[in-house]
Amino acid sequence: MHSLIQLSIVVLLLPLLSFVILIFFNRRLPRRGDFVGVGILGTAFALSAYIFWTVIVQTYDPAFRVAWDFTWIDLGQVPGIGPLQIKMGIVIDNLTAIMLAMVTLISLLVHLYSTGYMAGDKNYGRYFAFLGIFTFSMLGIVLSDNLFSIYIFWELVGLSSYLLIGFFFEKDSAADAQKKAFLANRVGDIGMWLGILILYSQFHTFSFTEIYANLAAGKFALSNAWLTAAGLLLFMGCVGKSAQFPLHIWLPDAMEGPTPVSALIHAATMVAAGVYFVARIFVVLTPDALHVIAFIGAVTAFMAATIAITQNDIKRVLAYSTVSQLGYMVLGLGVGAYSAALFHLVTHAFFKACLFLGSGAIIHAMHHEQDMRWMGGLRKHMPWTFATFTLATLALAGLPLTSGFMSKDAILAGAIGFATAEGGGVYYLIPVLGFFSAMLTAFYMGRQIWLVFFGESRTHLKPVDNHHSDHHAHSTHDTHNDDHHAAHEVHEVSWNMRAPLVILAALSVFFVYSPNPLDGAQGWFMKMIQTPPTVVGSYQSAPSSEKLAVGSQQSATEGENSALSTQHSALSEQHSALTNERQAEIAHASHAAHFPAIYISSIMVLLGISLAGIVYVFKIIDPDKTAQAIRPLYLFSLNKWYWDEIYDATFIKGSIVISKMLSWFDTNIIDGIVNGVALTVKNIAFANNSFDKYVVDGLVNFTAFSVNTTGAVLRKLQTGKVQTYVVMLLAVVFGYFVFYFTRLIY
Amino acid sequence: MEHLVPIGLNHYLTISAFLLGFGLFAVMTRKNAIVVLMGVELILNAANINFIAFSKYNGGMGGIMFSLFVIVIAAAEAAIALAIVINIFKIFKSVDVSSIDSMKE
Repeated sequence: MHSLIQLSIVVLLLPLLSFVILIFFNRRLPRRGDFVGVGILGTAFALSAYIFWTVIVQTYDPAFRVAWDFTWIDLGQVPGIGPLQIKMGIVIDNLTAIMLAMVTLISLLVHLYSTGYMAGDKNYGRYFAFLGIFTFSMLGIVLSDNLFSIYIFWELVGLSSYLLIGFFFEKDSAADAQKKAFLANRVGDIGMWLGILILYSQFHTFSFTEIYANLAAGKFALSNAWLTAAGLLLFMGCVGKSAQFPLHIWLPDAMEGPTPVSALIHAATMVAAGVYFVARIFVVLTPDALHVIAFIGAVTAFMAATIAITQNDIKRVLAYSTVSQLGYMVLGLGVGAYSAALFHLVTHAFFKACLFLGSGAIIHAMHHEQDMRWMGGLRKHMPWTFATFTLATLALAGLPLTSGFMSKDAILAGAIGFATAEGGGVYYLIPVLGFFSAMLTAFYMGRQIWLVFFGESRTHLKPVDNHHSDHHAHSTHDTHNDDHHAAHEVHEVSWNMRAPLVILAALSVFFVYSPNPLDGAQGWFMKMIQTPPTVVGSYQSAPSSEKLAVGSQQSATEGENSALSTQHSALSEQHSALTNERQAEIAHASHAAHFPAIYISSIMVLLGISLAGIVYVFKIIDPDKTAQAIRPLYLFSLNKWYWDEIYDATFIKGSIVISKMLSWFDTNIIDGIVNGVALTVKNIAFANNSFDKYVVDGLVNFTAFSVNTTGAVLRKLQTGKVQTYVVMLLAVVFGYFVFYFTRLIY
Repeated sequence: MEHLVPIGLNHYLTISAFLLGFGLFAVMTRKNAIVVLMGVELILNAANINFIAFSKYNGGMGGIMFSLFVIVIAAAEAAIALAIVINIFKIFKSVDVSSIDSMKE
């Protein structure tokens, strides 16, 4: 076993250890055991950082890959299926190494931050336990080398997300939100499982490498439409987990969870799992599937951005912004900008975690006020938060010199390249929506920064009994000792909440990723994460796919040690030689579109920011009057495109109607059948009973009666007098003679 | 004497039948147990007459031998029956057979 594999197993199991310790013993440990969680995550991060250092910095090989697996379940020969083995395994390549470091780092920072944010909560220890199980599940997804174990960890992530969203389960809204998140994820997961089964039915394996090798060898017996369907069904898992249209509805509601949880789960890791999964299965996606994915991503990015501009809740703006950015990533994967999408995944994870933790600091300082309309002027009181929040905002908006600029531009360049390569037309909708969303992003983030940090404090403007439609637990939050603070006094948060903000903000600057602030492709990330060549058969020439199949199968069948980087780089040379024309064409067009993308997006971002400035800083346009002027559009955005209402009217009402019909069917038809059967049985039993009572009993009684009667008659014969008997004897003898002689005579 | 019918088998059998009839009548109608026994003796003797008559007209000695046996058995039967009657009298203080019906039912 490769030493990195051993290390990664330790990294995987450490958060589980934290969960086990904290869930059972948190009340017996000092400080409810928060130091256990932070310490274990610190260790895990240190080991992940070592893996990252070894893989990315020392090896610096785009084709680096080590793998190890073992047979988990061996059912032998199953009739009708063949040999049934389920393997578990770990794969470490560049993407895994980066994700590993990212997840453990953000988890560590969130742990640290939570020691401040959640201090005094009555379920403080359990909170850290949940963070542990979540981190474990997420690392499991990142390390899995097969669809089966990824699905297991996928569901574990769903479960831990459920637990964390509903952490304040005394609140109805939190309990509702956790159910909504779980159900929306279920819808996606069903599709994902069906997709896994389509692939399994063809190849009888869950392993990524074996599936790719088999697919490249043309062993997919069904038509290409089935492969597209499999890809789209697998993508449904991403739609659920990464909150893509039309299953995005759960993510904004998931803001009911504690804010650090929002940072960890709903900004950086869990929602990124969907994008990560699509990247893992990228090579099996057919062009048709990729087109659908690209459009869903573009629609999600645009829709969420339009919703975000009217939200008043500080976390909801960020939530819709997250949905929008996830849309960018999915769009990026759809257009084939593989490394750009994953680049955006990582940069977004850091700056969005920073924004969420910053908003947590603001909420903490404002005594659980989340409505931006009643904030303002916090710049003076919270300089650290202000600085880091602003830096992360710039990265999110995509201003030059930030990480977000590079990754978003790479995606948009890819989108332009894709549209060009596909021949324009409706495909230009994708980059157009992308650029427009970039402008909206800049606008709503500018609005947020202004409303929160600038101007005068508007705390006093808040209506006293204001229970707005998007109100949030002002009253039920009993988790913090408010009496330590004077009512409206706002001050900076403590060091353990500040440090994560600073670290995350530092990771949002360009030089972490690339020496050239204008071009992410020159950085280590885009060099280490390269687009894998597709294995979808119809896009390859026959002889080359044979070569690939032989190479892949060799590497798949050989033992753990042989799956080392040297062989894989040899394999990847074959791969890169096979990189199909379409990908090359898109890559070429994207490269050509690099500078146009930079110009257009910079212009759009500046437009967005200046619009925010015009509206909120210089107040040239009054936002309220504008909202009145375009009231239908305003309401459309404020009510989140009415998705909740639409789902309420269709799926929820529909399922209620169906349940009512089923209930009617149950009470009338099923119960009718059951009752009918019961009635029939009862009637049969009654007839049976009558038969018993009158016929059988009658016969028995009649027998008894006749015997009795006969006896009563015959009893009279037995007089006890000898002479009577003699008479009878004579009578019989006489009778016999009469009988006998009569016979004799005639 | 030609008009007289010579005594033949039928005459014996007729006498025997009458004797049987009287015997049966006595057995069936008399109340006194002794008289009933006498009736039994009449029946036995009716049989004896039959045996003798058949023996005479048949030519064998079997009937005669049988009748001797019957006489012996009748003597034994009389002894036993009289003993029974004595015991009945001891128990019931009566030899009226119609009143002795404790075997009833």
